[in-house]
Amino acid sequence: MPRRNTRCPGCGSSNIVNDNLYCQAQQVCADCGTVVSEGSLAQDPYNGPEISYSRTTVVKKKPCVNLIQGMERVKEMSRLLRVRKEVEELSLTYYRQAYEHKTFLNVTLQRKEILGGCCVLASCRQQRWPITLNTVSYLLNDDPAVVGEVYHEMIKVLNIQAPAFSVTDVMEAHCQEYKINPGHVPDELAEESRVLTKRAVALVELAADSWIVTGRHPLPIMMAAVYLAWQSLKPNPQRLKMSLEKFCRLGKVQKIKVAGPRITEMKGMLCKLGKEIPWYKQVLTPDNVVSLVGDILQHRYSLLRRAMKAHELSLLEKCPVNSPPAETPSSEVTEDAGQTPATSSVNAENEAGDKDESPKSPSELSDPQAQGSTQNWGKRVLFAPPCVVNPKKKKTERPALHVSEDDHISDSEIDSYIRTPQEARDFAVMQTMLKEQNKV
Amino acid sequence: MDSSNDEAVDIIITNVVATFRTRCHLNLRTIALEGTNVIYKPEVGKVLMKLRKPRITASIWSSGKIICTGATSEDEAKLGARRLARCLQKLGFKVNFSAFKVVNVLAVCSMPFSIHLIDFTKNNRPIASYEPELHPAATYRIKNLKATIQVFSTGSLTVTGPNVQNVATAVEQVYPLLFECRKPLCKQDKKM
Repeated sequence: MPRRNTRCPGCGSSNIVNDNLYCQAQQVCADCGTVVSEGSLAQDPYNGPEISYSRTTVVKKKPCVNLIQGMERVKEMSRLLRVRKEVEELSLTYYRQAYEHKTFLNVTLQRKEILGGCCVLASCRQQRWPITLNTVSYLLNDDPAVVGEVYHEMIKVLNIQAPAFSVTDVMEAHCQEYKINPGHVPDELAEESRVLTKRAVALVELAADSWIVTGRHPLPIMMAAVYLAWQSLKPNPQRLKMSLEKFCRLGKVQKIKVAGPRITEMKGMLCKLGKEIPWYKQVLTPDNVVSLVGDILQHRYSLLRRAMKAHELSLLEKCPVNSPPAETPSSEVTEDAGQTPATSSVNAENEAGDKDESPKSPSELSDPQAQGSTQNWGKRVLFAPPCVVNPKKKKTERPALHVSEDDHISDSEIDSYIRTPQEARDFAVMQTMLKEQNKV
Repeated sequence: MDSSNDEAVDIIITNVVATFRTRCHLNLRTIALEGTNVIYKPEVGKVLMKLRKPRITASIWSSGKIICTGATSEDEAKLGARRLARCLQKLGFKVNFSAFKVVNVLAVCSMPFSIHLIDFTKNNRPIASYEPELHPAATYRIKNLKATIQVFSTGSLTVTGPNVQNVATAVEQVYPLLFECRKPLCKQDKKM
């Protein structure tokens, strides 16, 4: 039907008809053919709810590929370590939780793998399955410091508590690595794993009391303890002559260099204790102390007490008047002797000795200066950590500068920091000469 | 137990780090040429200048930002910074000493007793963390003071914080916690 009010912009005629192009409505001038106006193709406005693109095009919700791979890796690590089923399940739960958290969602794949290892470590610690951080970092083939960092972050994120192991907990697992069971090696050199573990654990506990274990890596200590335990269980010449390196080759484990000094330290400690054995009259050296290890371990508490008392007596003899030893050690000794009355025949002698000493300690009342006592306590006590026994030489104290805000900084002082023009020129010349020399 | 110590514990400040700005561009080549006791590091883009009187090492950037390390007190750091600014002024730069701020203070102190670190960590989770395989000390972080304390089993402490007051407060705060977990100097039957 021709519209009456509109006119064609091209020719001005009012003869405009509805001429639809397929489904598009159009109004066309019948005289010149100009399209005056046209409708839209789809005129229905959508008034429904907004639908997102990902929701409409999604086929099926799948978990992230890296998450699946990470979980497989966690399972692998758990099976390699041969942990219990509960430990494996717990580590998988932790991994899933930590992975989804924003701290770990966008990190590198390597860090996600380390996260898997840390989850295994945390669940092992919670379920009291003894493994060390070094084992996990070895599995992951990564630096223990990085693994430790990720572990701390993970603990914070998951808000869990995982108590660390002491050396004695890990000892049994470590001892089983050594292939010196009766089947593997000749009988003179063989040792049952359980017996070896028991003696090595006792040695480590004794070492802990004498500051050998504190603050050090556990692995060299464990190796030293196993070696000494093995030697002392059957101290025949063959075993005594075998060095640490040969022992490691025998047990098919890799030798750790630091285990050597640990062995020396342990032997030194054993010598100090062995001196107190009343029925051993010969001179003790690190070489012949190994045969006495069994006796020392059996009576270690009483030997420790005797050794400490003997040390105090020797200190008193050296300096009876000035710088007396602090009351706390001697009072501790008297307390202990009172609490455990008779563990062995050796103790009876201790108590007799105690009563002689106790009247002495209250008389030494002068308090030692705090600094002096902390710095010299290495000398006063029988066992002390190496950093206290050999303290670093203190740098000569710099005189405290008296500073005031209005201090006038003298010109001459500042000039000492500035080169004269002649010196600067010489310096520049020298630099160019050096450069040319280097080029040639 | 009395929380105030009868014997005063000496806190020794070993390092104070401070920054300030000169509000002008500095030509590092000029400083390297005309200054004594300087080390020019073109690959990093800075000059290291060492002062003798307050023993201080300063890292000077061409933007005019300077970091001073090595002082043993906050006042010494300020004196050293001003001396350095005066030195740069003499070299010909229009130095305007501004925005001096002490950024970090490192102190050590020693307790008169040794500490059972495992007990200490157990009593103070999660503020304290101890990983013996990684580091022999337990780390104790005080959030509101922004201080970190590293506790060694021998009784030595290393404290870092934003200023000297915070460091002193941190030591005071941690002392009673350490006192709870102390072990006598000659242990007999107690394990590590």
